[in-house]
Amino acid sequence: MLDLFPSREAGPFGRRLKRERGARIPVTVVTGFLGAGKTTLIRRFLVSPEGQGTAVIVNEYGTVGIDDALLRGSADQTVLLGNGCVCCITRSDLQLALRQLLIDREHGVVPRFARVVIETSGLADPAPILQTFSTDRALGGEFHIDVLLAVVDAVNGESSLDGAAEARKQVILADRVVISKTDLAAGGDVERLSRRLHKLNPRASVDGAVGGALDVEHFIVPAGTERGGFIAEAEHSDGISSFVLEWQQPLEWLVFARAMETLLALRGADLLRVKGFLDVTGCQGPVVVQYVQHLAHPPVELQIWLDQKRSSRVVFITRGILEAQVRDLFVAVANLGAKPANGP
Amino acid sequence: MLTKDESPLTKGYQPVVWNFKLLAHDMLGGFGGMGEGMSVQIAPDGRRIIWLAHESAPKNFTAVDVSDPRKPKVVCQTDLPHANMRSNSLETCGNLMAVAYQTSKKDLKPAGFELFDISKPENPKSIALFDCSGPHSRGVHQLWFCDGEFVHCASGSRDFVPTNPNDDQFYRCVDVRNPSKPVEIGRWWMPGTRQGDNIMPPPRHPIDKGYRAHNTNVYPQRGDRCYLAYIDGGMFVLDISDKANPKKISHWTNSPPYTGFMHTVVPLFDRGLMLVTDESTENNCKDWPKLIWVLDARDETNLVPIATCPMPDHRIYAQAGRFGAHNIHENVPLPTAWKSDQIVLGTFFNGGLRAYDISNPYQPKEVGIFMPPAPPGAPTGTIQMNDVFVDERGIVYTVDRHVGGLYILEMDF
Repeated sequence: MLDLFPSREAGPFGRRLKRERGARIPVTVVTGFLGAGKTTLIRRFLVSPEGQGTAVIVNEYGTVGIDDALLRGSADQTVLLGNGCVCCITRSDLQLALRQLLIDREHGVVPRFARVVIETSGLADPAPILQTFSTDRALGGEFHIDVLLAVVDAVNGESSLDGAAEARKQVILADRVVISKTDLAAGGDVERLSRRLHKLNPRASVDGAVGGALDVEHFIVPAGTERGGFIAEAEHSDGISSFVLEWQQPLEWLVFARAMETLLALRGADLLRVKGFLDVTGCQGPVVVQYVQHLAHPPVELQIWLDQKRSSRVVFITRGILEAQVRDLFVAVANLGAKPANGP
Repeated sequence: MLTKDESPLTKGYQPVVWNFKLLAHDMLGGFGGMGEGMSVQIAPDGRRIIWLAHESAPKNFTAVDVSDPRKPKVVCQTDLPHANMRSNSLETCGNLMAVAYQTSKKDLKPAGFELFDISKPENPKSIALFDCSGPHSRGVHQLWFCDGEFVHCASGSRDFVPTNPNDDQFYRCVDVRNPSKPVEIGRWWMPGTRQGDNIMPPPRHPIDKGYRAHNTNVYPQRGDRCYLAYIDGGMFVLDISDKANPKKISHWTNSPPYTGFMHTVVPLFDRGLMLVTDESTENNCKDWPKLIWVLDARDETNLVPIATCPMPDHRIYAQAGRFGAHNIHENVPLPTAWKSDQIVLGTFFNGGLRAYDISNPYQPKEVGIFMPPAPPGAPTGTIQMNDVFVDERGIVYTVDRHVGGLYILEMDF
């Protein structure tokens, strides 16, 4: 479009946004193992002033009746999307429910909602849900995941983490972790669980909730905007690890994009989540990149660097891929001399 | 799920705020019926003053100190000489302000525009009145004044006899380089609208609002062009390189089949695009749809409409008051105005203020809505958002047509 109708106001990634989500509808995804207390947390959020105008999508039927909000059931169902890769198996019913919400809103059938909260089923792997929002072809053009919240039960959390890979993955991929039912567990147990959660996911804050009471900011303040929140290497269970790559000098977009394309092509299934801010040559503000397995979110250029410190930091959560391997790949691509021809 | 009858939108315009933050609301001392003149001045003492035109008598104009946009303060509010006139439009340039005067009937005074020294915002001093009154004239409806030298306006004139009484206002260019002695230096009217023209008058529209000028925008990027909206006549690009002898370069209209009243033309020079707005002038959607159009203007002689900014379902808004496009932020070429060729902000009466992302001009996308509740005493029972201006800080000012006064907002997208 810039070829036909060029604009000095737009950067190589289009209109520069004030924040990552731009004008898209913010989404909070609440994961947590069976009985962890997700519904209670959501219910408390919905009655808060900040929770007004929230549409709720529940991944299970019959969970709860919620006043002043939309309640949609979307039963588990997996389908194969267009390109046929197993990583793209996702919940078509979730997509349908969200699309229907948009249609109803435009027709005035439902009020304008300002946020969507998705309560996942206890056994859900968050990755396919993240993928649902990753591209325009999916729902990335209309919705943006601001927060991925994992709820862990203070009483049964340890055993859930011991016994279920899904529970561990929920914690590992989360932006924030909430320990529920802290009033029902012994203090020592909560502390031990908190340490374990920190070890599983050092990026995420871990907070306690009693009776569903939680600072509403946990639901609405976008995660991952604090660059200091990226913690260096951590080893997780199930062969999952996380690490951060940093560059102090501006990056050539083509180098970064080609290296990521290679990584996605070879090991997309093992890139559980990649997110970061890039200082891209020729760009005014930071460029936010995000990948979920082999799907890439369209990069977004923000208007300004909030902390005035220009550098690139990208956090990788991977399965069976080592930091050194990824680092070497970027060095190799850079050494090959990939240069941007006409921007991205 | 809520049924349609239960939807707040169908119950009477419950507030909708999407990606805007309301910083302040000022009812302007109970005189909150505002027109379509909004201009920001940095006063000699450093204060940021927004000057606002009123929709109708008794008030002439109001000045509001918006140095702190969260704490607006009215510093000046003036009265019109009589009730059979209005000062619907104004512009400031430095410490000079031009205010349009339009009378309700022909041959009344004052009709024209008045120039004020506003170096002391609390005490504007009249410099000159440019008289446009006459037996067939209602004076000036709208004016454009950004360079300190020329006022471009939609005006009648004593010597102009229209072929139809509704066609009384045309394009006039007035030299105000000596502000105490304004002098007309050029004019243009749509052929057929003046008695004596050698072509037939244009056919009337079913809703006849006149073949007459409305916005008369001129930008320094193309100082030799006037982007002229002509109400029921569509819009024209004029060559004004010789201001004494404007010439038509191109013409585009959407009516019929649409219902006329083209209002504003804003060129986006870097992009080769043009924004054109209609104005809704009828209550209850009788003239729906009134739209913001996006034109491919890479060839100014062949303007091609490529999109319109999407509107919500009009049936929801058809219950009271006007609904549809009107004013947009016009990238006024002054240091105190925000400029964007990516975002369009427009007022839609009971549809509130809406923002659109036009980074893909073929698919404008709504990115923000500010639709406040009906202000107390609103005669239509709804907001009737009338005009919008964005200052260089990105602070958005928007006004209600009837009673609501000034709303100050922050964009959040």
